[in-house]
Amino acid sequence: MSEKIYAWLLRLYPPQFREAYGAEALQLFRDRARDEKGFLPSLRLWLDLVADLAISVPGEYRSVQPALIRTPALRPLDGLPSFYVQESELPRLGALLFGGMVSLVALCAVPVLISDVGNYRPLVTSVAQPQPTAHERPSAFRRSAPQARNDVKEQTSASGQSATAASPLRPGDVRPSDFQSNSLALLGGSRIPQPQAHQTKPQDATSTNVRAVDGDVKLDAAQRQRVINGAIANLKQYYVYPGVAQKMADALLAHEKSGDDDAETDGEAFADLLTRQMRDVSHDRHLGVVYSRVKTPERPPVPTPEDLARYRKDMAQNNCTFEKIEILPRNLGYLKFNEFPDPPVCRPTVVAAMNRLRHVDAIIFDLRDNHGGSPRMVALIATYLFDHPTHLNDMYNRRENTTEQSWTLPPVPGNNLVDKPAYVLTSASTFSGAEEFGYDLKMLKRATLVGETTAGGAHPVSRHRINDHFMIGVPDARPINPISKTNWEGTGVEPDVKVKAADALETAEKLAETKLQKK
Amino acid sequence: MPKRKLDPLPSAAFQILLSLADEDLHGYGIMRHVAEQTDGRMRLGPGTLYSSIQTLLEEKFIEEVDLRDDIKLGQERRRYYRLTSAGRKLARSEAERLADLLRVARTKKILRGDYV
Repeated sequence: MSEKIYAWLLRLYPPQFREAYGAEALQLFRDRARDEKGFLPSLRLWLDLVADLAISVPGEYRSVQPALIRTPALRPLDGLPSFYVQESELPRLGALLFGGMVSLVALCAVPVLISDVGNYRPLVTSVAQPQPTAHERPSAFRRSAPQARNDVKEQTSASGQSATAASPLRPGDVRPSDFQSNSLALLGGSRIPQPQAHQTKPQDATSTNVRAVDGDVKLDAAQRQRVINGAIANLKQYYVYPGVAQKMADALLAHEKSGDDDAETDGEAFADLLTRQMRDVSHDRHLGVVYSRVKTPERPPVPTPEDLARYRKDMAQNNCTFEKIEILPRNLGYLKFNEFPDPPVCRPTVVAAMNRLRHVDAIIFDLRDNHGGSPRMVALIATYLFDHPTHLNDMYNRRENTTEQSWTLPPVPGNNLVDKPAYVLTSASTFSGAEEFGYDLKMLKRATLVGETTAGGAHPVSRHRINDHFMIGVPDARPINPISKTNWEGTGVEPDVKVKAADALETAEKLAETKLQKK
Repeated sequence: MPKRKLDPLPSAAFQILLSLADEDLHGYGIMRHVAEQTDGRMRLGPGTLYSSIQTLLEEKFIEEVDLRDDIKLGQERRRYYRLTSAGRKLARSEAERLADLLRVARTKKILRGDYV
């Protein structure tokens, strides 16, 4: 009986040990059991065995490796095919070295493949970083408000101007989205002919992501000369005011002649320098040369379904930049949005937002962080404030010599806002399309503007390729307000009630309350 | 790595070497010899005994001799073990080490009396 118990306990040992010594251990137990009879001796025997088990079982498992190695050698199976563990020696030095080399090569191949295969990097970059990086900015998509702010920060630091993080945009900075949004301005409406080959839709933007990277190019005098000539040619051909274009061309040549450009070998810095030289003459904040480390294609990219899908996804993710839709105390509707996104993509969001606010007694549009966008969206949102199609704006395009009118759409059924007081909050960084919204409503006396004078960018821009790395954004059109016969370029839009941007909401609420009480 | 197992020499292994100094023994014989030479203080259990034997065999300090019949224990055939010359050398050096220790202990007056 006790032998059986011990035989069972022996199974605690590793199989190698059992195979080699199990029989002998059992034999030893048998010997002792035979010799040590009686209660006390057998008790001592079992105590010994338990202590022995406790000590030697873990020890055996620790040394199972050498046991593994030797057991087959101890018990060869004659004539039978069997496996042997050949681990008694380290691999040969040569084998280790070879293995090490192969691993190293494989490891190095991964980053090399990622970074050096021309077309690959931008794809990877775009996956890792959906918003365009600094050098991709010229073709950047319009983006959400926080992203736009980041972009502006980059831009200001790149152009050597100081800007606090809190100030989203300084006058004088061109945002890439302006290029797009304003080239869209040219597309806006139905009466404008198809854009020319050079003109790009906003959706073109991210196609740069599949362009080749050439790395930074050191500019020499000849290259600088070509960029300047290219810029001048584009200015003369497209700039909305031919006279100013000539002055800027002269200025660029004068700067070049006097050696002002000689120190610049860095593409981005050179682009910023040219931009400053042109703006010194024209004070046009939409105008700018943009450097791109990514090679820009010969022909403007056509928006791909992927680009559109990405734009849709971006917009879906940030609710078409509609940051706040609230009903404030005293039934004041409050709508904060940071862009005028493309209607085909964002119309449902806008309609839903406006429907939520359909029963308010007054409405406040917060455009303090809004940097523009599609004029068609400007018209769509303005539609809710009018009971008949209203002429908002005209856009004169020099290149095409056409004037496009922008009107609100037919009244929206069930909309109650047409006779409600409206307020537009502005800041010094309210820009472009957002300025148009404020300006149009101000001219029509349909809204009260509260806040700061806006940034002052009215000219829509189209982008033109100078060479592989340089683009120029040339304003080629100007809005002509049907009432004022002018626009806000350079001057910004003056608010009706001038307060600090931070106090604009509170002020507008008070104004609205007072007005509603009078009713 | 097996070398390390016997350095320092575990007392069980040393006792096994000592027990085999005079004659070849099988496992149970070793166990009984060890118990005797330690006045019953060390009774090697089968696990400890055979794992020590395994290690000593691997390091060639002991070797197996042919299976033979043990007359005293009936007709069962057992494996006998024999001390190799390397094993004898190892046992001697261990004994000398202990003797040195003993000398030190005596100089330090930790252990009194003459040689045992």
